Amino acid sequence: MIALLCLKLYIRQDIPTEDVYKHDVIKDSGSVNFPKDPVNVVLMGKDYLQSQAPIGKYGGELISSTIGEGPKTFNPFTSKDSTSSSMAGLMFDGLFTTDPKDGRVIPKLAKSYETKDGMTYIVKLRHGAIWSDGFPITADDVVFTWKDIILAGLGNTSIRDMVVIDGKLPQVYKVDDYTVKFVISKPFSPFLRLLSTQIAPKHIFAPVVKQGQKAFDSFYSTNTKPSDFVTSGPFKLKEYKAAQRVIFVRNPDYYMINKQNKKLPYLDKVVYLIVGDLNNEILKFEAKEIDVIGLRGSNVAPYKSKEAKSDYRIYNIGPDTGTMFLVLNLNRRKSLDTNYYVQPEKQFWFNDKNFRTAIDYAIDRKSMVQNIANGLAKPLFTAESLNSIFLNKNIKGHDRDLNKSRALLKASGFHIGKNDKLYDKFNNRVEFDLLTNAGNTEREALGVMIKQDLEDLGMRVNYKPIEFNSLVNKMTTTLDWDMIIMGLTGSPLEPHDGKNVWYSNGSLHLFNQRTGNETSDDRLEFEKRLDEIFDKAALETDFNKRKILYDEYQQIIYDEKPIIYLYSPVRIIAIRKKFKNIFPSSLAGVTYNIEEIYEDKN
Amino acid sequence: MQILFYILKRILQTIPLLILVSMISFFIIRLSPVDPLAELKLNPSISKATLHAERERLGLNKPLPVQYLLWAKSFVKGDLGVTTTGEKVSVKLMERIPNTLLLTLVVIFLTWSVGVPLGILAAVNWKTPFDRFLTFITSIGMAIPSFFFAILLLIFAVKTGWFPVGGLTSYNFDDMNLLHQVLDIAHHLCLPVLVLFTISLAGLQRQMRANLLDVLDSDYVKFARAKGLSEFKVIFKHALRNAVNPMITLLGFEFSGLLSGAALTEYVFQYPGLGRLILEAVLKSDINLVMASLMIGAIMLVVGNLIADILLILTDPRIRAKA
Amino acid sequence: MLKEIIKGIYRDKFARIAFLVLAFIYFCLFFADIIAPYTKDYTDRQLSYVPPSPVFTIDENGKFSRPYTYNYKREYDADLMQTVFKLDRSKKYYLKFFARGEEYDFLGVIPMDRHLVTVDSDGRLYLLGGDINGRDVFSRLLFGGRISMTIGFLALLVLFPIGLLYGGISGYFGGITDTLMMRFAEAVMSIPSFYLLIILAAILPSNMTSTQRLILIVVILALIGWAGFARVVRGMVLSVKNQEFVQSAKMIGASNLRIIIREILPQTTSYVIVAMTLSVPSYILSESGLSFLGLGIQQPDASWGNMLKEAQEYMNILYRPWLLTPGFLIFVAVLSFNLIGDTIRDVLDPKSRMR
Repeated sequence: MIALLCLKLYIRQDIPTEDVYKHDVIKDSGSVNFPKDPVNVVLMGKDYLQSQAPIGKYGGELISSTIGEGPKTFNPFTSKDSTSSSMAGLMFDGLFTTDPKDGRVIPKLAKSYETKDGMTYIVKLRHGAIWSDGFPITADDVVFTWKDIILAGLGNTSIRDMVVIDGKLPQVYKVDDYTVKFVISKPFSPFLRLLSTQIAPKHIFAPVVKQGQKAFDSFYSTNTKPSDFVTSGPFKLKEYKAAQRVIFVRNPDYYMINKQNKKLPYLDKVVYLIVGDLNNEILKFEAKEIDVIGLRGSNVAPYKSKEAKSDYRIYNIGPDTGTMFLVLNLNRRKSLDTNYYVQPEKQFWFNDKNFRTAIDYAIDRKSMVQNIANGLAKPLFTAESLNSIFLNKNIKGHDRDLNKSRALLKASGFHIGKNDKLYDKFNNRVEFDLLTNAGNTEREALGVMIKQDLEDLGMRVNYKPIEFNSLVNKMTTTLDWDMIIMGLTGSPLEPHDGKNVWYSNGSLHLFNQRTGNETSDDRLEFEKRLDEIFDKAALETDFNKRKILYDEYQQIIYDEKPIIYLYSPVRIIAIRKKFKNIFPSSLAGVTYNIEEIYEDKN
Repeated sequence: MQILFYILKRILQTIPLLILVSMISFFIIRLSPVDPLAELKLNPSISKATLHAERERLGLNKPLPVQYLLWAKSFVKGDLGVTTTGEKVSVKLMERIPNTLLLTLVVIFLTWSVGVPLGILAAVNWKTPFDRFLTFITSIGMAIPSFFFAILLLIFAVKTGWFPVGGLTSYNFDDMNLLHQVLDIAHHLCLPVLVLFTISLAGLQRQMRANLLDVLDSDYVKFARAKGLSEFKVIFKHALRNAVNPMITLLGFEFSGLLSGAALTEYVFQYPGLGRLILEAVLKSDINLVMASLMIGAIMLVVGNLIADILLILTDPRIRAKA
Repeated sequence: MLKEIIKGIYRDKFARIAFLVLAFIYFCLFFADIIAPYTKDYTDRQLSYVPPSPVFTIDENGKFSRPYTYNYKREYDADLMQTVFKLDRSKKYYLKFFARGEEYDFLGVIPMDRHLVTVDSDGRLYLLGGDINGRDVFSRLLFGGRISMTIGFLALLVLFPIGLLYGGISGYFGGITDTLMMRFAEAVMSIPSFYLLIILAAILPSNMTSTQRLILIVVILALIGWAGFARVVRGMVLSVKNQEFVQSAKMIGASNLRIIIREILPQTTSYVIVAMTLSVPSYILSESGLSFLGLGIQQPDASWGNMLKEAQEYMNILYRPWLLTPGFLIFVAVLSFNLIGDTIRDVLDPKSRMR
């Protein structure tokens, strides 16, 4: 029987057919027709924010998902991870928000603002906006939030860290019940966007703040009873089940209205299922347990080909804010126990600009995009992500060019020895470690490719995926590494958010991490210039002048190549067709306008 | 009385063990290069000052022995501390323990109530085609990597729509009446239980079969047979009692695995159980959470062994004579 | 005894098939370098996730022909966001047997370049398709199997001698020795083995090959696993040691160690064999579980576990079934081990020896 089977397998006829068939495809319309900006409307003495999106139907529920362990807290001021922040974002509104089209700062909980010199900001609040327990939202809440929580350093201090200008904190004054004045010591460009931070209800938070940091940290945690939350956002918490789901219900007293002056949001319920990994998320989407999903790489194709006959629609919203890169350790210092972090001969290679450029030119980004991201990515050469409003478009990048790499290496005294192996001018064999985090198929495959690419130059690469937290520990604390493949998520709107990476004393200054125990100024020339640029650009309020500065920083990184950027994935989102008022944007995603989205079952 | 004294003695012996285990685990965890603040450190908008404050809050800046003593002190007081993200460990554990207990108890109940009889059947029908068939069938279940089996079942669930894709309850669980809630949970439990059941069935069935065969071969069974007792009586009155001993030791183990045995399956099925929590905590070096679950695991193990020993004494006259 | 085992395996139909399957697998793994058309790291970037090469024996005119294949041509369909592979029918590549191909060192020492089956150098024969990096899955299966299929035995070598002796001594002497030894075993069992693995994964020097690393991991696993095994052995010893033959051995003045090894431990044979049967395959399964968590053998090295990890993505299971072959092989190997183990057990069982 087995013999028969073998025979059957062996005999196979070659029948020429066109074995690829075309599917029905809906082409993406390309551009999205965004509605006009929301406008302020006064009805019966109350300030409403009127959405200009088409009028929808009430009811329905949107089931989304969050990958990971779910929210760790619902307190917007203590959250340190994106899941917690986005959940808190549904529950609490900030004074301002970001325009999804172009990234401008536009009013939300604030009615309007004005500034003359870029140092004094007068913010007007809405009359009639209320907390979910009926108390009005007033200037007291804003002043309290800024003075007693953010500037006092409670919870997550990253906002506070950002607004320190020349060691001085902003001043916050109550002008009247619905007017607040912010004063900063110098014009500081990122400041207005920082006012998007959520506002807390003073009458609820004040007693907790008095008890100090510890009480505050555990306040509004995931164990708080849902009915105890006093919030301002479009949705209220209804249920949290650990590792299972978070359910939000409509806030009937929200201050946004539609064009018929009826109160938003439309949806009755927003559900987040907590899923552990992407694979499970895809299965859940396939089983129709969730309505919206972000897809990547090779996962897209099957969905795209079935799209026409399906109940979902796929949106390509362009390059992601995520960047994938290869970073070299330029560190030449010794650790406390007087060993070099990086072996001396390697220091010589990594600090050689020709060496770094040679590596850059040896990398086959095209194959990476094609094989690893299934064509759904763009090669990346800049430090700012491709959807950044500050992207330096003059940096064009280059293709793989091994001859150029070899020439550069030769110029620096590297030579090819026997068996095509690369040696430096002191006759050391060029051999180093390449690390990335294990368990991520994409990065592991990337490592295999980079190893092969560099071995084409005769280098010997010990490629080793290690566990994520250990990798970060090496990268930020023990500093004993050569090259790492990593990814970071930047902000497409504010390059200053990346200051901890680019300042020479930043906490995430990957390629030349300093511990704070340095005795002398050993900054490299380009590091000094980067420090200057970041100082200057933050204090500059004119967009074009900032753009020039940030263009220069991207050019420096591209020229010096301490970090070699690889590619940036394209974001593809699938959402059920029954949901309307979907205006995808590369800056904000798909469900940013959750209060305008409605479900139309037909 | 004697048994009470024995139990007391064992419990007292347990204390140094727990101290030993906690010390070893604590130092292993802390000496590992895993960084509990890794996620924060990779966030470009988190400053050095914030990181410093976090380190201080978690006590990471203190010397290791001090960290251990602080932990031990609060553990003895019954305070399990907070996780790296500031949630209470005791609360987190209590959210998960019932779910895991539910899953593992169902699985243990099923495997024992199916595996033991199958083992007996196989032993009684030793060397018949029926015996072979049983062994072959259970072997198949044992040969599939559990996570892979779980993934295949999930895809089966998606394609047929017969089962939910992981989890424990539907999202509208709170709006259901009691009957529907029970049915909903049962529906969700089907697939993970199937995976764990398939995997552990074979081992148990073989164990039982092997034990019974051993006993059937022993002198006193031969003697019982020689006395002319019916085969049924021989097996159920004499052989089984003795074949059960190693099974009791095994049951003790299963007790300790109650809370941590199903981590991979829980992970694939997104089951909100303890195994998944610990797995994630271990990978992040969330020390209080890991230590608490390890200590619970150790206590469960000790208790399981204790119960097994006591049962052994109660069931086996030969050991009882000695104790 | 060996003779009996072989006879037993031969007599049992399941076991005979299982034995042949395992023998075949190990044969292929031993000669992996020759059988595989490519080396482990051979990469063609144009062939990421390429489907298996079709091998034709009847040509387009319906006539028998020497077996041949076509190359795949990759195209990207930007509308569908999809990579499409089409057969390039412009050139036939005939399969060549024992022809020259990629150079390699057979078993790591003998330089050779002959392969069982290959095609001309500009053709590609990916019998089981390609992985994400465009490497030949069939070749990697063979090389990966070398690692996966030896792990079980390595672990056994460490685990059983320790466990048997420890459990035997503890159960036999009883009293304070027993108490101390068992408490220690319990402490060992409570050590978070998972932690040890993560630490190892992170602190082992990076120029260590992943095979060396995996062996270390197996040793660690075994060192933790012995405790549980010892405890069961001890339980059995407890119930055996008061029987007459032990007492009589004591009476004639045999040394304690001798009694344990010669009289008591043989009584546990049946359990030990069943446990051994279960542990060789269970270590194969452990390797795949570790790899699932990203802690096993690491890229670019291959093992069935880490190849299966790549396959566990939903899309790959549905659309690239050739990536599932490592899972199938794990299944077959583990099942075969179990079936053979069962037979061995029946053969060694005292009852069958008597008949």
